[in-house]
Amino acid sequence: MVGFWLGIDTATDIASVAAGRPPVAESGAHVQGARRHAAEIIRLVDFVLDRLSLRPRDLEGIVVGDGPGSFTGLRIGWSAAKGLAHEAGLDIRTIPSLMAAAAGASLRLGTDPVAACFDALRGQVYGAMYAFHPDRVDSLVEPAVLTPAEFVRVAPVRPRLVVGGGGPGFADQMTDWAGAPPVPLDSLPPAATMLLALLGRPGVGRTLDDPAIAEPVYGRPAEAQAQWEARHGRPFPDSSGRAG
Amino acid sequence: MADVVLGIETSCDETSAAVLVGERRRPELAGLVILSQDVHRVFGGVVPELASRAHLAALPAVVDRALAEAGIGWSAVDAVAVTQGPGLVGALLVGVVYAKALAYAGDRELIGVHHMEGHLFAPLVEDPDLAPPFVALLVSGGHTLLLDVPAWGRYRLLGATRDDAAGEAFDKVATLLGLGYPGGPAIERLAPQGDPTRFSFPRPMRDEGYEFSFSGLKTAVLRAVRSSDDLERDRPHLARAFQDAVLDVLITKLERAIRATGHRTAVLGGGVACSRALAGLAARRLSDGGLARVAVASPRLNADNAAMIARAGWYRLGLGERSDWTLDARADLPLPGLEPAPTTLGAAHP
Repeated sequence: MVGFWLGIDTATDIASVAAGRPPVAESGAHVQGARRHAAEIIRLVDFVLDRLSLRPRDLEGIVVGDGPGSFTGLRIGWSAAKGLAHEAGLDIRTIPSLMAAAAGASLRLGTDPVAACFDALRGQVYGAMYAFHPDRVDSLVEPAVLTPAEFVRVAPVRPRLVVGGGGPGFADQMTDWAGAPPVPLDSLPPAATMLLALLGRPGVGRTLDDPAIAEPVYGRPAEAQAQWEARHGRPFPDSSGRAG
Repeated sequence: MADVVLGIETSCDETSAAVLVGERRRPELAGLVILSQDVHRVFGGVVPELASRAHLAALPAVVDRALAEAGIGWSAVDAVAVTQGPGLVGALLVGVVYAKALAYAGDRELIGVHHMEGHLFAPLVEDPDLAPPFVALLVSGGHTLLLDVPAWGRYRLLGATRDDAAGEAFDKVATLLGLGYPGGPAIERLAPQGDPTRFSFPRPMRDEGYEFSFSGLKTAVLRAVRSSDDLERDRPHLARAFQDAVLDVLITKLERAIRATGHRTAVLGGGVACSRALAGLAARRLSDGGLARVAVASPRLNADNAAMIARAGWYRLGLGERSDWTLDARADLPLPGLEPAPTTLGAAHP
């Protein structure tokens, strides 16, 4: 990576934006509070680019947090990324937001496994586990929606650390599992910074056939869709519309 | 002032983009694409989360198609107008953030537009000579508004619905009748086959003021459906009686407002104004007697669409208004320029 890239992550309560020449983030900013994301996201982009005297057209591409996470939050980051990329003709890459969160902790832990969790409500978390190596990232548990107990059960190893949050009882379960309390996301480097750090490592991102029509990994179907599928015992039909 | 405005609308279940080009006071519609999300038919109504997801997946391609239809490249776009609200907040957010990113990346002006002001401006896209003063009846799935419009940008609320919007009542009654979603077109298709004398439904609040109420009418239809021993036989008659009742209430109040204000023009807007039955009744009660000219846009511009957003945005940009990068979606966005109606009209206060 020789050119400048913009990183955007809005999968959690923290919206973060960073810019730089990967793997280095040379400028970054974030806000906390999901209700502020839509209002602040372009201002954050403007702030981090302005500090580097860049405009969107000067960028080589945008790397955006792929989720899973807050449905609305993800769409805010993705809408911003699509709009910027569409107008300025930029490449879009995606990296799981859980990987970005875990990578923040790995800076001090080396190659030890790190589990990342975002609260998915209903007693579940969006969870994944990674081991970070200088030349690659091993996905020990791919991003999934599951209860903390299920996460413990499917993980092939005990993590050195858990980052993120969950519902009631989550902290105690994770402390029992990892031997230390989970590290809250606001104690870690912003996810957008870590997206830039991860960009370029083999196998960390999802290849988008057509970024314009791509969607984030929501982690769950819409509730109405899930109910429909449960009632009908088959996948929901395609949701394309009629153009006029 | 901008010469080319890109409009974006994502307030509900239509993903739409439009391009307006031209001189300051008479812009022309150069491109309009409306992608109607079919996914909601399965559920008998709009599912907000699915609508939001569909907007994100569709919006770039819809914008590209509108620009291609207009024969215009990105570099020619001077400003972006986007629906800020009211509407489904998750759906609005996709359009607002995307529009902000487009405007920011291209150093373009940005203006957030009120969805119902967009409906108000829709007839102006096709009829550039339309000018206030007039009375506007805006009826959609989410709103029923009767406005006195003394000038563009100045709106006096005469009345609004106290419960269901007219379009919402059409959708709910269509469900009761087993006609599917969206309800308005389904009822309008069936109603002509019905005998208008077989059922008679109340005209709620028709003879008082400018406020609307449709929930009681919906309940009356529910009772009639439950007491029917042959719904297959009665369905067209029920559809006819319901449609007649709603349209009679709407046009009676519009006529009352025209008489009270003395204006000579009535504007119909919103998705329910796609109804030829509504436009036909308005013409018979207002135009044929010489009381007022009725201005109504073509159905494509009365449904939720980005051309009306671009046109209202064009107007606001012409006033020197701009939105900044902190523009946010608001499900309950108040109509700009709303002022109290004269008490002599006996209207509701905003």
